Amino acid sequence: MNSTLRRGIYGWIAFAVVMVILPHVVGTGVTRSFVFAMYLAIFAVSWDIMSGRTGYISFGHPFLIGIGGYTTALLTYHLHWPLFLSIPTAVVITMIGGTLFFFPALRIRGTYFALVTLAFMELIYGLVQVIAPNVTGGTRGLSGLETIVTGAIPNYYLALVVLLVLGFTMWLVIRTHIGTALSAVGMDEDAVRASGINVTRLKLFAFMLSAFAAGLGGALYVHYLGSIAPRALFDVGFLFQILVACLLGGAGTISGPIAGAFFLTFLLEWLRPYFPGPERFLIYGAVALVLYVYQPNGLHELVRNGLKRLNQLKLSRNTS
Amino acid sequence: MKFIDMWKPALATMAALVMLATGGAAVAQDKDPVVVGYIGSFASDTGLSTIRGAEIAIDELNEAGGVLGGRQIKFVKADTREDVVEGVKAYEYLNDVENVDFIISGSIDDVSLAWLERMAEYKTPTLDTWTSYVGIIDKVVQEYDKYKMYFMNIACDEALATLYIDFGKDVLAAEMGYKSTVLMFEDTAFGVSIAGLVRDLLAPEAGIEIAEEIIYDANTVDFAPLFNKAVDSGADFIYLVSSVRSQVPASQYVKLQVRIPMTGVNVAAFGQDFWNDTGGLGGGTSTLSPVPSVGMQLDDRTAAFIEKYKARYGNERPIYPHFNGFNAYYGIYSAFQAAEAAGGFEPLDAWVEAMENTDIVLEKDGEMWFRYAFWKQGEVEPRTGREYTHNIKFDVTEPFDDGSPAMVVVQWYEDGNVAVIYPKKFANGTFQEPSWVQ
Repeated sequence: MNSTLRRGIYGWIAFAVVMVILPHVVGTGVTRSFVFAMYLAIFAVSWDIMSGRTGYISFGHPFLIGIGGYTTALLTYHLHWPLFLSIPTAVVITMIGGTLFFFPALRIRGTYFALVTLAFMELIYGLVQVIAPNVTGGTRGLSGLETIVTGAIPNYYLALVVLLVLGFTMWLVIRTHIGTALSAVGMDEDAVRASGINVTRLKLFAFMLSAFAAGLGGALYVHYLGSIAPRALFDVGFLFQILVACLLGGAGTISGPIAGAFFLTFLLEWLRPYFPGPERFLIYGAVALVLYVYQPNGLHELVRNGLKRLNQLKLSRNTS
Repeated sequence: MKFIDMWKPALATMAALVMLATGGAAVAQDKDPVVVGYIGSFASDTGLSTIRGAEIAIDELNEAGGVLGGRQIKFVKADTREDVVEGVKAYEYLNDVENVDFIISGSIDDVSLAWLERMAEYKTPTLDTWTSYVGIIDKVVQEYDKYKMYFMNIACDEALATLYIDFGKDVLAAEMGYKSTVLMFEDTAFGVSIAGLVRDLLAPEAGIEIAEEIIYDANTVDFAPLFNKAVDSGADFIYLVSSVRSQVPASQYVKLQVRIPMTGVNVAAFGQDFWNDTGGLGGGTSTLSPVPSVGMQLDDRTAAFIEKYKARYGNERPIYPHFNGFNAYYGIYSAFQAAEAAGGFEPLDAWVEAMENTDIVLEKDGEMWFRYAFWKQGEVEPRTGREYTHNIKFDVTEPFDDGSPAMVVVQWYEDGNVAVIYPKKFANGTFQEPSWVQ
C-alpha cells in the first residue's frame, strides 16, 4: 500500500470516528442539518463518479435520484411493499434508467450530452405531473410515506453508514486502474479507445455505479423526508446544489464533493438565524463564487495545498 | 460557641439565597416568552400577508399584557422560498433551534405536504392559512391521532368548488344567459386541475358547453393569438384559469379589447395590488377568491385590523392583505384562546380539544359575516356529505349563517374599483361585461 493511499484511508477512518461521535456532542438541529448534508453528499458522490472524471457532465442527475425516490414511494404508498423490497427495486429501476443516460453517451459528449441529460429531467418533471396524477400525486406529490427510522439520531446514523460505504467504495474505485482510465476518457476518449481499452464498457460501469448511488440515495432520501414532490427532486435548484457541491469541493475526487456538500449545507443553516430571508442565498452564492474563483479545483485542493505547506514547514524546521 | 453555630447565620442566609435564586428562576421561567414560528415564503404577497397578519395579532396580545399569565409572545420566522425541501428544513429549524410552541404557516400545497410529516413527528400545534388542499384535511380525517395538531383556517378547495359551481348556475347561466365557453388555462397543475373541475362539474351542472379548450404555457407573453382563437370559436365567454403572472392575460384582454367577456380564476386579482400590476388595465376581470377578499365589506373588528395594517405597512406591497393575512390574524387569536383554555400548548390533546372549541364569530349588521371555528372530528358537512376535520367552519349554503362562505366572486371594474358580485348576501356589485363587449 503506498503512502498516499494509506494517508487517505486514515483520513476516512478519522472522518468516520468524528462523524460517529458527533451527534452526542451537538444539538438536534445540527444533527438534522448533517442528515441533509449527508444526503446531498451521497448525490454529489454519485454525480462525481459519472461526471467528475469522464467529462460527461450530467445536468439531469435529479432524473436518476427521482426515479429511485418515486419508485420506492409508489411501491410502498400504493402497493404497500415492504421497504426491504421497494428500496432494492428502486435501485434496480434507477440503474435501468441510468442506461437511458448511457445511450446518448455512446454518440455525444460535452455540452450536447449535458443538454440531453437536462432534457431527461425536464421530461420526467412534466410527465410526473400529468401522467396518472392520481398515482403520483401530480404536482403536489405524496405525503405520509413510510419512514425507515424516526428521529434525528437514527436517521443520522443511517445516512452516515450509506455515505461511508458508498463514498469509501467510490474513493477506492477511482484509485484503481479504472479510475485512471476514467480520467483518461475525460482527457482524450479516442486515445483511450485506440489503446485497446473497451471505453463503452468503462463508461457503462461508471454510469451504473453512479445510478446505483443515485437510486439508493434517492430512495432513502424520500423515506427520510416522508414525502415526495416533483419540485423537490426534478428541479434545477436541486441540480445546482449537487453541481455546486461537486465543483466547490473538487470534482473527480469523491472526498471533495462530500466536503462541498457539508460546507454548503452548513453555510446556509448557519446564516439562517442572521439572515432568515432570501439574503442568505445571495451570500451563499457569493461565497461559492469567490471560493470557486480563488480555487477552481475546490476545497479538496485547498486542503491538499494546506497540508503540503504544513509538511514543507515541518521539513524546513527539521532541517534548520 | 460550636463551630457549626458560628456558621448558622451564614448557612441560613446562603440557603435563603439559594431558595430565592431557585424560586426566582422558576418565576423567570414562567415569564419566558411563548415562541410562535412562521413557516412560508418571505417574498410573495401571500407569504407577507400571513407574516403581517400574525405580527399585528401578536403585537396586540403583547400590548394587552401578554398571554398565559403575562408572558410575551416572540415571533420567529423561517423562509421556505416556496421550495419543498426548504420547507422541511424550515420546520426542523423552528422546532430544533427556536423551540417554538406554535407554528403559523403561509405555505403552498406541496410545501405543506412536505413538512406535514415533521409536524406529526414533533407534534407541534400548527395552523395553515394559505393552502386549501383538501388532501391535507383528508389526512386529518383518516389519521386523526397522527395529524390532530393540524388546523387549516381557509376553506378547502372542495368547499371552494362547491360554491363556485353555484356561481356558474346562478350568474353565468341563469342571469347572463351564457351557453358556451372557451376554457383557456395555463399548463400548470393548478391550471389543469381547475380546468378539470370546470369541464367535469361547473359546465355540466350549469348547462354550459365548452366550445374550445386552449392550454397555454405559463410563460406566455403574447395572448393575442389565443384571444383571437377564443373569439373565433363563437363561444359566449372566456373562462380563464391563471395563477402564474395572471396580470398579463388580464391586461392584454383589456388592451386588445377582446370582444367576448371573460371570467374564471385569476390569482393576481386576489390582491389590491392587481390594479397597479396591470397598469390600470385590469377592468373586467372577475375571479373566484377565498374570503375575506378584496372589495369585500368588513365587520368592525376586521375593519380595525385593516386600519392597523395600513398604518403600519403603508405603501409596502401588498398594500392590502390577501385572504390569508386575515386568516393569520384571527388564527393567532384562535390559537391563544385555545392555549388559555388548555393552560398552554401542552399537553397537546388539551390544546387540540380547546382549539376545536374556539369560535370567533364576526357579525355585520346583526348577521354572521365571518366565522373562525373548525369542523370537529366526526362532523359531516350536509351538502357535500363528508368530513372536514380541522378545516375552517365554512358554509356553502344560503343564507351562510353557520360559517364563513367558502369563497366569493369578485370583479374589477374599468374605473379601478373592485366589488364582490357573488354570493348575493356579500355582494356589493354585479357581474358586468366590459364596455367594449356591449
